Amino acid sequence: MTPRAKRSILYWLLMSPLMIAILFPFGVMFVTAFRPREELWVYPPTWSFSEFRWLNFVEMWDKVNFGQALINSLYVSITSTLLALLIGIPAAYALSRFRFKGKGLYRQFLLVTQMMSPIVLVLGLFRLMVYFGLVNSPNSLVFTYAAFNLAFTIWMLQSYFSTIPRELEEAAKIDGASSFISLTKIFLPLAVPAMAVTAIFTFINSWNEFVLALTMLRSQESYTLTVMVFAQVAGRYQVEWHHVMAATLLATVPVAILFSWLQRYMVRGMAIGAVK
Amino acid sequence: MATVEIVDIKKSFGAIEVLHGVNIDIKDEEFVVLVGPSGCGKSTLLRMIAGLEDISGGEIRIGGKVVNEVQPMHRDIAMVFQSYALYPHMTVFENMAFSLKLRKLPEDEIRAQVNRAAEVLNLNEYLERSPKQLSGGQRQRVAMGRALVRDPRVFLFDEPLSNLDAKLRVQMRTEIKALQQNLKTTTVYVTHDQIEAMTMADRIVVMHDGIIEQTGSPLELYDFPVNLFVADFIGSPSMNFIKGTLSRTEESASVICDDASVLPLKSSVGGSDGQKVVYGIRPEHLNYGQGDYSLDATVDVVEPTGSEIEVFGKLAGHDFCAVYRERHALKRGDSIKLNINPENVHLFDADSGVRL
Repeated sequence: MTPRAKRSILYWLLMSPLMIAILFPFGVMFVTAFRPREELWVYPPTWSFSEFRWLNFVEMWDKVNFGQALINSLYVSITSTLLALLIGIPAAYALSRFRFKGKGLYRQFLLVTQMMSPIVLVLGLFRLMVYFGLVNSPNSLVFTYAAFNLAFTIWMLQSYFSTIPRELEEAAKIDGASSFISLTKIFLPLAVPAMAVTAIFTFINSWNEFVLALTMLRSQESYTLTVMVFAQVAGRYQVEWHHVMAATLLATVPVAILFSWLQRYMVRGMAIGAVK
Repeated sequence: MATVEIVDIKKSFGAIEVLHGVNIDIKDEEFVVLVGPSGCGKSTLLRMIAGLEDISGGEIRIGGKVVNEVQPMHRDIAMVFQSYALYPHMTVFENMAFSLKLRKLPEDEIRAQVNRAAEVLNLNEYLERSPKQLSGGQRQRVAMGRALVRDPRVFLFDEPLSNLDAKLRVQMRTEIKALQQNLKTTTVYVTHDQIEAMTMADRIVVMHDGIIEQTGSPLELYDFPVNLFVADFIGSPSMNFIKGTLSRTEESASVICDDASVLPLKSSVGGSDGQKVVYGIRPEHLNYGQGDYSLDATVDVVEPTGSEIEVFGKLAGHDFCAVYRERHALKRGDSIKLNINPENVHLFDADSGVRL
């Protein structure tokens, strides 16, 4: 065995406890989701199953109204991401390009908002949504998710924007471009990687958020995936674990796809954010 | 083609004034170089001409029209940046065509103009490449090409050659000058390299700490620097300076150094007896050997460059540098005689630095 191969084996051995810890819940989720109901409580527990039961998914889909929850989750995550970008991009641009009074203070303020857990604010936010008449509407989540992700969005975009040379926009202006054209034709195309990374983060944060969703959403029709899965477990006499796990598995799929598709942007974008 | 008039231009960043009232009259078709050490305000002035910096006071006129409030896009100027500022997400062709597209020129006309500029700059083969696939010299050419296609009224260059290696820099220097002579477009060129300034300019503006020290043709500046700063800045290796006291009678004048050496002067020179002065002499004017006015010197270092030798040593208690085209066999520790033609001497007041 070459020294290189030996070293690889050693590294994998060192990493394996961590890998097992990370993969174990996924393993349980996967196995349970595909098992027939009768095999859920076998003792001692095994990893094997007698039948690869796709029917679990079909049954679950109808029973828990999965389609509606999926649509709700997609709607909330996508619109809140778009809203955060829509507000975050101009704010980050201003922070990286213009000089104005109170700029340092504003950046600090953004940081401070990140220190508070949403749970601390949950009551206040609920009262606010009652006031706006948005309780039980997915839009209440759109606004709160966008707001909670805004600080991160601005911070992230701003550190990337600052790496785009100002001279490019100046060159465009001298070439005869208006501010709007130089922004849309020169600046924003160059900022796509940063926007992609920020969008993924915001999307995933919104997709996985639970506490606010549980607070704001009252009826089954407006549940997002996280609340819907929770509802299959909490306060039930009998929990259909194979359905719960099938739902959980399906709920993680979009995030996994998004991650693998955009991770090259993410590595690049994070590195830039880290250096600054 | 246009004149550029800079009238009493001031620029402040907050409380700090970086340009203290600058006046330059740039004639049509002229090649003017702004030169000075970093921080002298030359780039700021250029960016003000371009419209990228606000004007704190004074007026800039292009083609006789005041442009203080005119946006860069409406000034009809082209600028080449030190970093080239090529659009990284566009091909070379798109980079050069960008300004023409914004003017909504027809497609075939854009193609024709870009091709013509590419022809001039030898960029034809690279039109479909992206900037990051090009070498430094090629990027520099694209930056020039982008300026060229527009046929602007004024070219502005902001240290365009400082990111190139020495050999390429010399080559591009010649190319830019040849190009300007062909196109006859009024050009303002900023550099900190006095050799670039000397070789390229019709007229040089020497700047220092936000003011103009001297304006003139390259040889005027070289032969008649108006003060110590210009004398020191222009010329490489730079002028030798020796401190002393002016001693003059009716018919003769000389400078007495601290070590009592007597340096020759022509009698017509200004200044009064007993005045503290700085005696300036260019390295090529320290003639080797005995002459009418000979001085003793010792040699410390000899640096042959091939075409000439540079000799460093001590003269009248001061460091000196002399340049010879002849290959004198000199070595460290040699005692030599240097003679000076008083006609070649520059004399400055020690306090104000002004030429006497």
